[in-house]
Amino acid sequence: MSAGRRRPLGRRLAVGAAVLGLGVALGLASAWAVLRRADGFGSGAGPWRVALLAGSADADPWTRARVAIGGLLALNREETMYYVATHDTAGAPLRSRCSYRVEGVPPAARWWSVTAYADDFFLFDVPQRRYSVNGQTAVLDARGRFAFTSAPTEPRDAGTTPWLPTPGDRGLIFTLRVYSPEAALQAAPASLDPPRIEPVGRCA
Amino acid sequence: MIAASRAASARRRWVLRAAAVVAIAVAVHGLAVWAVPRVIMNRVLAGTGAAGGGVFLPPMTDASQRRIVMPSPDLLYATCAFDLGAAPLRVRADPKAPGYWSIALYASNSDNVFVLNDRQAGGRPVDLMLVGPAAYAAAPAVPDGATLVTSPTARGLLLMRVLVADYVAQREQVEAARATLRCEPLR
Repeated sequence: MSAGRRRPLGRRLAVGAAVLGLGVALGLASAWAVLRRADGFGSGAGPWRVALLAGSADADPWTRARVAIGGLLALNREETMYYVATHDTAGAPLRSRCSYRVEGVPPAARWWSVTAYADDFFLFDVPQRRYSVNGQTAVLDARGRFAFTSAPTEPRDAGTTPWLPTPGDRGLIFTLRVYSPEAALQAAPASLDPPRIEPVGRCA
Repeated sequence: MIAASRAASARRRWVLRAAAVVAIAVAVHGLAVWAVPRVIMNRVLAGTGAAGGGVFLPPMTDASQRRIVMPSPDLLYATCAFDLGAAPLRVRADPKAPGYWSIALYASNSDNVFVLNDRQAGGRPVDLMLVGPAAYAAAPAVPDGATLVTSPTARGLLLMRVLVADYVAQREQVEAARATLRCEPLR
């Protein structure tokens, strides 16, 4: 290009700034879009997704970043497996204003727990201080199954079925922690008999 | 002729600009994904008290814990942030907890690089000498009975978990178990 046809410096700077700004914005937006998905983990069982490389040095950069956002300081899978559900068994997104019955068999492991989290990955602020159901607190029925209800207000069967309060109207996340999972489950995480997450009643 | 050449040159300019946008976007995407765990870990390390020794005993996990995502309400934690740049760290503990406990080490990029649980400890006290990736000018000998553990990064976090089925009933036992944790620079 000859010097005579060069565009004014101001215009070239503006184009350069626009190219840089657009590139940075696209880079950040695409990173955010990929990382913000709590259910963006690999393998699954029913509505549960498991981050197999959580805490692992073998994790790819996206898994490592996603775990840092949604599950920082996770243990490796020999120690603990983390199954995360953001949808019910029918595939509808979980909402804290709705009621759900969660039912299943205890996983093949030394100890387990299911905790209800708000969509910011922190516990619901509830005066009852009931945040989870675990291997010690769960009561198994005659078929060896546990069950609990999550709901914004106390359900009618709260006397017989444990209730995890989920106040407000926001996204809801269940995390199933499986401590010291048996070797077969470690080798095939999708072989988990996935606890069912069924909506109770209507949820407008 | 001149008009056609101008049009071709304008096209080329637009292609170059689009390529520059894509290249910058890819670089920024990669940098952001790389930086996220490190920045988050850095914030956690900064908030966990002075690096290099101090054990931090947070209260039993409840909804007020908003520093680390997905806190487990069934675990009592103890942490110590470490910096192995100047000296190794000696980690000792002898938790007599009724159930599961573990001691896990995290590198500054958030990787879980080491974990020891109660079954692996087999009732024996924990005694670790934690060293960083760089050699020390005067390397202290591994103390008798201690296990040498190498961290891939100088800075990091030790996290002890003690399973609590019922905090009110087990308070004395589980608090005593986590209070046995010692993190002391070895000079």
